[in-house]
Amino acid sequence: MAKHQNDRLQGTLDLVVLKTLESRGPMNGYAISLHISRISESVLRLQEGSLYPALHRMTHAGWLRSEWGASENGRRARFYAITPAGRRQLAAEEKSWADLTGAVARVLRHA
Amino acid sequence: MDRLSNVLRRRDLNPEIDEELQFHVDSRIRDNIAAGMTDDEARRDALERFGSRARAREETRDVELIVMLETTAQDLIYALRGLRKRPAFTLVALLTLTLGIGANAAIFTIVRSVLLRPLPFPQSGDLYAISYARPGAPFWLYPGMSDSNYLALRERNDWFEATATFASAPLTLTGAGDAVRVIGATVTPDFFRVLRVNPIAGASFATGDDQPGRNHLVMLGDSLWRGRFGADPSVVNRTITLDGVAYRVVGVLPPGFSYPANAEVWTPLTVRADPHLTFTRPVIGRLKQGVTRHQAQAAFAALATNLTTDDREKLESVAQVTPLKDAVVGDVRRPLSIFMGAVAFVLLIACANVTNLLLMRAVARRQEIATRLALGAGKGRLVRQLMTETALLSLGGGLAGLFVALVGGHALLSLVPTGILPRDAEILADGWVLAFTLAVAVLTAVVLGLVSAFQATRQDLSGALREGPTAATRQSHRLRHALVVAEMALALVLLVGAGLLVKSFLTLRAVDPGFKPQHVMTMTLDLPAPRYRSAFDLTTFHDRLLASLSPLPDVVSAGAVNWLPLGGMLLRGDIVVEDRRPLPRDYIVTKASISPGYFPAMGIRLLDGRNFTDRDGAKAEGVVVISEQVARLIWPKGDAIGKRISLESNPTPQDWLTIVGIVEDVRQGGLTHNVVPAVYRPYSQVTRPFLLNRMTFVVRTAGDPQKIAPMMRSALRSLDKDLAPQSVATMEEVIAGTIAESQFQTRLLSVFSTLALVLAAIGIYGVLAASVVERRREIGIRMALGADKAAVVGLMMRRTMLLTGIGVILGTAGALAVTKVLAKLLFKVTPTDVATFTIAAGVLVVVAVLAGLLPARQASSVDPLIALRAE
Repeated sequence: MAKHQNDRLQGTLDLVVLKTLESRGPMNGYAISLHISRISESVLRLQEGSLYPALHRMTHAGWLRSEWGASENGRRARFYAITPAGRRQLAAEEKSWADLTGAVARVLRHA
Repeated sequence: MDRLSNVLRRRDLNPEIDEELQFHVDSRIRDNIAAGMTDDEARRDALERFGSRARAREETRDVELIVMLETTAQDLIYALRGLRKRPAFTLVALLTLTLGIGANAAIFTIVRSVLLRPLPFPQSGDLYAISYARPGAPFWLYPGMSDSNYLALRERNDWFEATATFASAPLTLTGAGDAVRVIGATVTPDFFRVLRVNPIAGASFATGDDQPGRNHLVMLGDSLWRGRFGADPSVVNRTITLDGVAYRVVGVLPPGFSYPANAEVWTPLTVRADPHLTFTRPVIGRLKQGVTRHQAQAAFAALATNLTTDDREKLESVAQVTPLKDAVVGDVRRPLSIFMGAVAFVLLIACANVTNLLLMRAVARRQEIATRLALGAGKGRLVRQLMTETALLSLGGGLAGLFVALVGGHALLSLVPTGILPRDAEILADGWVLAFTLAVAVLTAVVLGLVSAFQATRQDLSGALREGPTAATRQSHRLRHALVVAEMALALVLLVGAGLLVKSFLTLRAVDPGFKPQHVMTMTLDLPAPRYRSAFDLTTFHDRLLASLSPLPDVVSAGAVNWLPLGGMLLRGDIVVEDRRPLPRDYIVTKASISPGYFPAMGIRLLDGRNFTDRDGAKAEGVVVISEQVARLIWPKGDAIGKRISLESNPTPQDWLTIVGIVEDVRQGGLTHNVVPAVYRPYSQVTRPFLLNRMTFVVRTAGDPQKIAPMMRSALRSLDKDLAPQSVATMEEVIAGTIAESQFQTRLLSVFSTLALVLAAIGIYGVLAASVVERRREIGIRMALGADKAAVVGLMMRRTMLLTGIGVILGTAGALAVTKVLAKLLFKVTPTDVATFTIAAGVLVVVAVLAGLLPARQASSVDPLIALRAE
């Protein structure tokens, strides 16, 4: 899975998903996409379909745990939750994100 | 990778992906409608937001696939690394599995080739052996039919497409390289039609080829054709010389065809109904289309009752239609099944051993596994990793085992004496053997994997983390001890089985044959009838050969006999006493024709009267020497000498022969057979050529009998250069040949039981060695408190003795239950022989103690200070 860490865009999606699940607890894929677009005020408009490969990948990496449960309208849906490994990953991604944005901000300020 | 993923994609890796995606789209549509969109708008918007559904599905599935392949690769690397890190464990486990699986593959190769594979003839399932004979009757040799019955069957048979009968006898081929003995078969012309075997050159025998006058025809086997005739197709219609007679070659048979009895040449057999001389021969037939075995059996049984008018024969003869394969395979099914069972035991012991090793490793890895479980590793993943490891071991063992079976199988077969294993030329490892070996390896992998995975994951997490590796669970101990006990019990069963065979073999070897086989060389000749036609021709030849053998250096005495004791052939018949006193029903004697030198050459003692002399010639009064049993039965008062008997059923005056001497009884038929009463005649007084054309020359020497063999051969050559001896062997070799099968069975089972014993010893050693490591601390405390080395050794040995004791009890019970299957292979030894059981148990105990002593002594050398500080 190491190659994905260098992929900034991918990393961003991971970061956002992990953060969402960390702060809001277990959610299904649709709820995650709603949450992301609401919080980012629709700035982060992702193709909703691309969320699922990411969710499965992170599940297999051990960052997420998934199980089937009932959605609010009673239909069967897959719910995702963050694992301890996922929290560690989130911390690492947050730090590298902060480093990156900080560095970019410094460049913009001083260049 | 692309092709692989395409293949896998078709089989839905994860059918739930679709459901998950569908849920998303449906939820969006529902929310859109709730927000006031029309159905169409809601749907379009949802799909647009979602993007390509197909792409989402593909990409999600690719994740699953990559993950699956990556975890498998990881498991493999992890397992390989684990195995490489513990070379001793890996080596012992691999070696154990190789031996266990290899032994199974080797025996299965034989079972598959001999018992399971169809006979190498087209539609061989329709081939049957047809027999009508009295089982156990005096002349009964093998299931077959008498000539006259066969002719009746052939005439009236309505259920067989064709039938044939055959016999086999060695012949001498001359004129194609050196004179050589070849195995010849005489077959009725339909023989090849029954088997549906077609010649690769020339033609088969045609109807009428068995008629006297035009029957000097021969078909050649492929190997003889290649070896002696350079595979030249123009050999067809040429003539070759067999036993001095010219035969015209009509065809060459395909490679691999050597039925019956590994024949190399086939000549036509003439079957005649002759009331005075009847042969019983095997009969084969091919069932007609649509006729079942049961119908044929019923119809043949009905016909058979009309075959004979002799009420006794009718009452006692059994009409049977047996699948030809069963008839060919015959008695070998039982020993092969026993060997298959024995190697299954060896594999079980091997599995128990490797399981034990795995359990010990699991204890050593408890902390590692507990840590990984605590860190969130899935149990399923752990199980997969452990199973990958055992799968690698088992498949490695399976491949190595297959190799061992292929290489060792050849060595094994070369140990098999010729003639005891039917279809030995057909033995070959085929796809079935490969499949069987793989199946055994996979089964082993599953069993081992499940045990080790179960043991590793059921442990109490917090306990393992807190207490560290010394706190091995009781359950693991109990399981390991149970496994060692099971190993010892299984090994004991095999040991007892081998012990019984060894004892039986030794008993057999100790049987007194009635003669003294040491220092005796034999040379057996078949004089070809065309050149040695009359009794005079034959006895003249024998006299001349004996005259040239006697003066050879070191010869003590030289004699001749037509049917050598234990030589595999004998002539038996009834006798009539001059005063016509009644003899027991079915009283038969062996009738041998000998030279005066025979008794001293064989070391058969004269008990009363005189031996034959040169004066007992063709024109002298007819004389016989009888064996002790005949004398005792008919003349219990000891007045046999001088009485007259006849070997003919209806004697004419000149058929009466005077008894001149009494000799010791000899085991003529085999060491396991009872002594057969015998009547000997001087060959010079025998007038029937067929009693004289086969003769064994017996020479007793003062020194090594092997040294005389070349001189005997050259004496023969100088008399008749075209005569090849049928066999040249010391009498001890002849005896060894008769017990070769028993010897082979004994050796094979001994090899397997030794293997089992070694594996069990490794098991005991391993378990005790592990418990020494685990109990280091306890031992250290005991020693610190004053226990001396002897006490520590005693402490450790107590466990060995306890386990061994239980193993012996269970093994004895198991052996009592299964050694019955050996009953038919044993000679004068019961399957529950107390001495054998005792010795086998003793051997097991000694080996167990030796295996246990090593770790026990290690325990006693524990330094208490180091042991206590190590925690």
